[in-house]
Amino acid sequence: MKKFKYFCLTIATAAIVSLSACNNTPTAENPSAPATTSPSTAQVTEATTHSGHGGKAKININTAILSELDKFEAKLGVPALSNKIQASRPYASPEDLVTKKVITQEQFDQIKDQVTVQEVVLTGETKDVDYMTKLGLMKGHLLVAQELLDKNLPKQAEPHIGHPVEEIYVDVEDQLNERKVKEFKTTLVSLQDLVKSNPKNAKVKTDFTASVESVDGAIAVLPEAQRTKPGFVLQVINGLLDAANSEYGAAIADGKIAAAIEYQDSRGFVVYADDLYKSISSQVAQSSPDANKAIEASFSDLVKVWPSAVPPAKPVKTPVEVTQLIKTIEQNSQKIIDKSSTKAQR
Amino acid sequence: MPNNLLLGKEQLFSRRQLLKLGICGAGVAGTAALWHTLNAQSKSIVKVPPLAIAATSQTTNPMQMLRNFDYGVVKQENGRTVREFQLTAGTSVIQLNSAVSYNVWDLNGRIPGPTLRAKQGERVRILFLNKAGHSHSLHFHGVHPAEMDGIRPVSNGSAAIYEFDAEPYGVHLYHCHIAPVTRHIAKGLYGMFIIDPPTPRPPADEMVLVMAGYDVNDDSHNEYYAFNGLPHHFMDNPIPIYQNQLIRLYVLNIIEYDPAVTFHLHANFFDVYRSGMTMTPSEKTDVITMGVAERHILEFAFRYPGKYMFHPHQDAIAENGCMGQFEVIADKSSQPPRKTS
Repeated sequence: MKKFKYFCLTIATAAIVSLSACNNTPTAENPSAPATTSPSTAQVTEATTHSGHGGKAKININTAILSELDKFEAKLGVPALSNKIQASRPYASPEDLVTKKVITQEQFDQIKDQVTVQEVVLTGETKDVDYMTKLGLMKGHLLVAQELLDKNLPKQAEPHIGHPVEEIYVDVEDQLNERKVKEFKTTLVSLQDLVKSNPKNAKVKTDFTASVESVDGAIAVLPEAQRTKPGFVLQVINGLLDAANSEYGAAIADGKIAAAIEYQDSRGFVVYADDLYKSISSQVAQSSPDANKAIEASFSDLVKVWPSAVPPAKPVKTPVEVTQLIKTIEQNSQKIIDKSSTKAQR
Repeated sequence: MPNNLLLGKEQLFSRRQLLKLGICGAGVAGTAALWHTLNAQSKSIVKVPPLAIAATSQTTNPMQMLRNFDYGVVKQENGRTVREFQLTAGTSVIQLNSAVSYNVWDLNGRIPGPTLRAKQGERVRILFLNKAGHSHSLHFHGVHPAEMDGIRPVSNGSAAIYEFDAEPYGVHLYHCHIAPVTRHIAKGLYGMFIIDPPTPRPPADEMVLVMAGYDVNDDSHNEYYAFNGLPHHFMDNPIPIYQNQLIRLYVLNIIEYDPAVTFHLHANFFDVYRSGMTMTPSEKTDVITMGVAERHILEFAFRYPGKYMFHPHQDAIAENGCMGQFEVIADKSSQPPRKTS
C-alpha cells in the first residue's frame, strides 16, 4: 500500500500535461483497496473540520511550541522528538506522524488521544509563552523603528511600526481581550499614519512612547514570577530567534544585505531576545553554568551580526553561520526548559 | 450550482482501470499522453513538443512551470474525494538577470507557487507551513466559509490547514493576505488555483502563464516584469507548440503596483473564457485587458509555423521582461483544428 502511494506521488509530481478530466488523477486509489486512512477515517475528518475541540486538552502538532511537544518526547522517551515533530510539519491529520515516519504506529497509539491538528485553545504556560513571544516580536519591531527614527530615517522606520499591527496584532487580539489589556491597535495605527504623513511632527515622539508602553504593559500582565523564570523566558527567546533566523536569511542575496527591512526585523528580534536573556542569565548561571556559558557566548557573537539598524555594506556573518549560533542557543536552552517543564508537570 | 458529484461510479471505476493500464503499460510521459487520449474519448490526440528543460535547483524555471500542475494527493474520506496539497513558504534568492538578484518568498521552493488543480465538488485541503520569518497566510479565491478565508496571520514556524469544497470551476488564484499585501504578493507568495469543470474541456496543449512584477528597490514601483518568474525567459527560450494544435492558456495577472495590463498575442486571435468560469467563449480578440488578479482562459491555434510574440501591450512593461514567444513547429500530418482562427 505504501509503495503504491509513493509510486502515485512520483507520478503526480512528474510534469504531467494533463487536461480536462482530472476527476481522477493517477493518485486515485483503487476503490477495492483499503484507503490509507481507513482505520480512523472518521477521526481524520473530524479532526480537520475546525469545528471546535473535544473536552480533553490536546496538542496541535502543527503549531505547538517545543516545550509543549516535549510532553510527547517525555512520554515516549524518544530523544529530540519535539524537534523532529516540528521539522516534519505540516500535518494533515494526527496519523501523519506515522506516515511521515516521525514515530511508529505503536508509539502513536500511546499518544494519539493527545494529538490534534485542529486549532486548540492554548492553556497554561504554553498560552503564556505564545502570548509573550508575539508581544516580543512587536517589541523587536518597535526597538528597530525607534533606532531608525532616532537616525532621522522615518521612511525606513515606518514598516517596522506597521508590522506589529499587520502581522501580529490580529493573532494576539483575543488574548489581549481575555487578559483585559486595553486595546492598542489604534495607538499603533495612528503612529504609523503620522510617521507616514508627517514624520517631523513632535507628536511622533509622544505617540511612539505610548506605543512602546502599551506593548510593555501587555507583557506586564503576565505574573512576574513567570516573566523571570528561565524555563519560560527561554521559550520566548527561542521563538524570537527562530523568526530572526528566517528573516536574516530573507535579507541576504549574493553575499550582500539586499533587503534592509528583513535585516532590521531580525536585528530587533535578536536585540530583544538578548535583553531578555540578560534578565535571567544569573539564574541560569547558577543552575546550569555550562549552558549559560554557551548561550552567553553565542549571544555575544550573534548581536555583532547587526552592528547598527542601517545594514553594513558587507554582512558580518552568513545566514548559515547565524543559523548555527541560534541552534546552539536553542539546544542549550532546551536543557533548562526541559528541567523546568518536567518540574511543572509533576 | 450544478451538482457534479453524481458522476456514475461505474464510470469512475472504468476510468481508474484505464488509468492503471496506462500506468502499467507506459512510462510517466507516456501515461500523460495516453491519459489525454482516454480523456478525449475520441481520435483527437494532443500534440505536445518535447521540452528540453535544464535540470536546475533554481527557484524559478519558467519552462518547467508552464505545463506543471499539482494535483495533490487524493484520499477517500467518508465517501468523499479529498485532495490534499502541501505548501511551505520559505525564503530564497532569484537571479532576475545577470546583474540583479532579488530576495523572494517562495512556496515549495518556487515562484510562482505550484499550480494547484482540483475538480469542482471535491474537498480541497491545503496544509500551509510558514518558514519564511514574517507572518504569512494563504487566501484562496473561490467560495468558502469565513474561517477558511486565509486572512489570519500564520506565524513563523507554525502551520495552518485550509479546507473547503472546490467551487465554482474556473481559473482562480491563491496568495498571501498579510498586509502590506502588495509586498507579500510582489515578493512571491502567489500561485494559480484551477478548478476543472464537471465536464472536461476539450483536449488541448494546456499551459500556465503568470504575469508578475518585481519591485527590487522597495519604491512601490516595478523595475522588472516576468512570465512565470523570470524576465525575458520565454523570449530567449520560445515555447514550442505544434501548428494547428489547440492551445489553452491559463493566464493570471498578479502584477502589483500597476493597475492593469493587457495580454496581446501576435499574428492570431484567441477565444476568451472569462475567469475560466464558462464553457463558451465570450469574445475573440488579440488583446485583453486584465486588472490585478484577473485571470482568464485563452484558446487558439496557429495556422502557420514560425515565431510569434506575446506580451502586455503596455510596451514598457514588456520591454522590462514581460515578453515571450511561441515557436510554432510545422506539422504536415495535422489537419486544421475545428477552431480555426
